[in-house]
This record gives sequence, structure tokens and C-alpha cells, in this order.
Amino acid sequence: MIQQVLVAALAGSAVTALVALAAYRLASARAVHRLRAEADRQTATLSQASAAQRELIGVHEQHMQELEATLAQLRDELKTQSDSADAVRTELKAALDSKDQLGHKAAQLAAEAARLKGLAGTFERWHEQMISLMTQNQDMHTKNHELSSIVRHVVIVSLNASIEAARAGAAGRGFAVVASEVRALAARSEELSKSYRDSLHRNDLTTTATFQDIQAGGKMIAASLSSVESLANQFHATLH
Amino acid sequence: MSKILVVDDSSTVRDEVAGFLKKNGLDVDTAVDGKDGLTKLKGNPGIRLVISDVNMPNMDGLTMVEKIRGELGNSTVNVIMLTTESSPAMKERGKAAGVKGWIVKPFKGDAVLETFRKLAS
Amino acid sequence: MGIDVISAHAKESVEHIFFRAIRSRLTMEASDVCEIVPADAHGAHSLSDGNLVILTISGIAFRLLLILQYDEDERTQSYFLREESERPFLEVFLEICNLCCGAVNQELLQYFPDLGMSTPYVLSARCRPYLEALKPEFLASYSVSINDAVRLGATICMCAHAPIDFVAEASALEDTSGELELF
Repeated sequence: MIQQVLVAALAGSAVTALVALAAYRLASARAVHRLRAEADRQTATLSQASAAQRELIGVHEQHMQELEATLAQLRDELKTQSDSADAVRTELKAALDSKDQLGHKAAQLAAEAARLKGLAGTFERWHEQMISLMTQNQDMHTKNHELSSIVRHVVIVSLNASIEAARAGAAGRGFAVVASEVRALAARSEELSKSYRDSLHRNDLTTTATFQDIQAGGKMIAASLSSVESLANQFHATLH
Repeated sequence: MSKILVVDDSSTVRDEVAGFLKKNGLDVDTAVDGKDGLTKLKGNPGIRLVISDVNMPNMDGLTMVEKIRGELGNSTVNVIMLTTESSPAMKERGKAAGVKGWIVKPFKGDAVLETFRKLAS
Repeated sequence: MGIDVISAHAKESVEHIFFRAIRSRLTMEASDVCEIVPADAHGAHSLSDGNLVILTISGIAFRLLLILQYDEDERTQSYFLREESERPFLEVFLEICNLCCGAVNQELLQYFPDLGMSTPYVLSARCRPYLEALKPEFLASYSVSINDAVRLGATICMCAHAPIDFVAEASALEDTSGELELF
């Protein structure tokens, strides 16, 4: 019996095993089929996902390219801006330098004007010289006047001499001639003296007119220079 | 000690202006040109007001004021110019030198007496 | 004759400015009567002797000489000295002439911004005929009488080396002389 049982059991288990095996195999096959289907599904999903991902990557890459293009553009713009900024900085520096130069020039102008104002001292000197010249002129007037007086005196003396000579008759004739010539000389002297006096007056006027012109002209220049100096100083002040 | 200094190369003007101010009770000294003005100012620190002509020999009025402010270092004394000059350029120079006021001659004492009194006190 | 270097308007203007200055600065009282006529006019009194006071106003293109002739007689002295008889006549008179020229200078400054004025100088009246030697473009003499008592001579002698043309305002501007301008 036990043998039968055993055999039966064995067979049974064998059958069971076979059934199990078959079932297993069937199940396995199903499972495999299922698994395979599952795997297929998963593969499909994966492919899809992969495709999607590739698409995404594509899009991403496109974005990247666009971004890089934009970045390149921005870099270019930045460079342009930077170059402009440099140019402006250069211009500003040049302007500042030229402002410095202008300031320097303004200071120079003011200094020149101040220096030239010193010309006033020269005009003072000329004024003194004019006074001295006019004094000399005055001396010449006086001397001329004295000469005139002397000449007139000579004329009187020679007239008197002529009268005396006439009284002396023939003896006085030679003397009378000399007296007459002296008178002629005196008359000539008087003419020259008058003419000289006229020249002195003419000289007085032209000398005075010239020196006054120099004096007034000097003041005009000094006033103009003051104006320039003042303007230059104001300009210099606005630059600082 | 004088409070006012009158600077002019014309004795007529000196007498007229100083005479008028003295008559009205003010202390006045005089100078004949810019150089003399500087000397008088140096020697008399009580001077509060200088009345000066512009055109004078030896040193003109505006140069004198510039030296008062510069070499003498005196920035407090009041200076009024009394002159025939009226050009804007001259007035500018005066203003820059620290001149307080400008009067074109002739001098009219009554019109300016009170202001002078104030400036000299 | 070619175009005048100094235009007719300019000559008239200088004349009017000079007359205004004479009337306002040579008279000692506002009520004094001052008559100015051309020197060769009928009835004009001419001074044959005495002295001249000369002043010059210089501009960039011209110079203007103003000449005042006077006789130091009793009437002239007493008029200008008034009560101050101790002061030398010449000093007082020179200051008055200086003010007169100053008034001309002030008015001209409105038309010519760069001007300078000389100090006055006295010469004999015998120098007057030689003004021609300066070769002026404008030379004119006038007789001035104040209160019909004081006689003076006035002369304009103007030289120009560039055209001068301007018109002065017909009426004198308000006289602000004597006023204190505070800065």
C-alpha cells in the first residue's frame, strides 16, 4: 500500500508537479507573457519617454542656442556700451584737461592784464618828462622875451646915436651909417624873435596835445585792461 | 585821532570835502596822492573811512585801494571813490578791490553826509 | 571833399554834449544864464588874449580836445571864486574845467565804451591859431557868456583816423552826479 501510496503520491506529486509545472509553466508563460507584455509596455513607455526626452532635449538645446545667441548679443552690447563709456570717459578727461587749460589760460590772461596795467607807471614817467619839456619851453619863451627887450633897447640906442651923429654933421656921417645898419639888424632880430615866439607857441600846443593824448590814451588802455582782467578772473572762478 | 581820510591831488577838492565834513563835526585828515594816502593810513589806525579820487599822480586811487587791501592787509576800512570817472570798467575794478561806494563829482555834501557819518563810526 | 570822417550827426552830437556840459558845470548857480553862440556869429564877443585851459579825451579811433579860453579879469575872478577869495583863481578854475570835461566824458562813454581823459593844462591864448597844425577833422569855436558878464571862449578840436558816427540823445540824461552809488 505504502508503495502504492508512495507511488500514487509520487505520481500525484509528479502529476501535481507536472500540473504545477504545467501550471507553473502556463502561469510562467502567462507571467512571461504578462511580463513580456509589461516589458513591451514599459519599453514602449520608455521609448515614448525617451522620445519625449529627446524632444525636450531638442527644445532645451534650442533654448540653449537662443540663450547663447542672446548672451552673445548681450556681450556685444556690453562691449559697445563699455566702449562708449570709455569714449565718454576719454572725452570727460579731455574736457577736464581743457577746463584746466582754460582755467590756466584765464589765469594767464588775468596776469597779463595785471602786468600791462603797470604801464600806468610809464605814463607817469612821460607825464613828468612833459612837465620838464614844458618848463624848458617856458625858459625859451623867457629868453626870447629878454632877447626882444635887448633888441628894442639896441634900436633905441642906435636911434639916439643917429640923432647925435646928425648933430655932429659930416664927422658923424660914418657913425650914422653904422647906427642905421645896427637898426636894420635890430629890426631883423625883432622879426626873428617874433617868428621864434610863434614857433614856441605852436610847439607848446602840439607838445601839450600829444602828451595829453598819451595820458588819456594810457588811462583808456588801463581801464580796458581792468575790464579784461576782471572778466578773466570771473571766468576763472566759474571753472572752479 | 581822525576818523576820515580825504585823498585828492587837488587842494580845491581837499579843502571843499574836508572843510564840509569838519564843519559837520567830523574828524578829517587829508592826503595828496595814493602814496601819501597809504602812509597816512598806516600811521593812523583810527581811520574808518577813506574818500579818494581816482586820477592822481604818483599812485592812482584804485591802486591805493588794492594796496590797502593787499599789502596793508586792511579789509575793514570803508573806501568811497569821489571822481569824474564813471566808466563801468573802472567801477568793476573798484568793486573787485573792495571799494564800498562810488560818487561822480561834483561833491554834494548834504546828500551823503549821513552815510559818511555812519561809515566813519 | 570826400566823405567826412566825422559824420554830421557825430559833430552835432559832440557839440550838444559839450554845450550841456558847459551849461551844467561852468555855471556856479542853477539860475545863472549861459549863452553859447558860434564865435564868428554877429555880436559874438571874442577874447583876444588871456589863457587857454586844454583837456583831451582819447578814444580808440579819435581824440577830442576841449579848449576853454578865459581872461583873468575882475568879473571872471569874482564869479568863479565867489566867497573863497583866498584860493588861487587858477586852481578853482582848473577844477571847474576838469568837471566840465568829466561831464563830456561821462556822456560819451555811452557811445564809446573805451575812453580816457587827461588832466588839464594851461597855455597862452596865442597858441590857439595853431590848433590847425593838429589837422583836426572837426574844429569849431564858440563864445560863451554867463549872466552877460563873464566871457569865455570854447573850442572843439577833434581828430579821427577812423569813421565816427553816432547820435547823442537829445535831452541830457538825469544828472546822477554827487549821488553815492553803494556797491
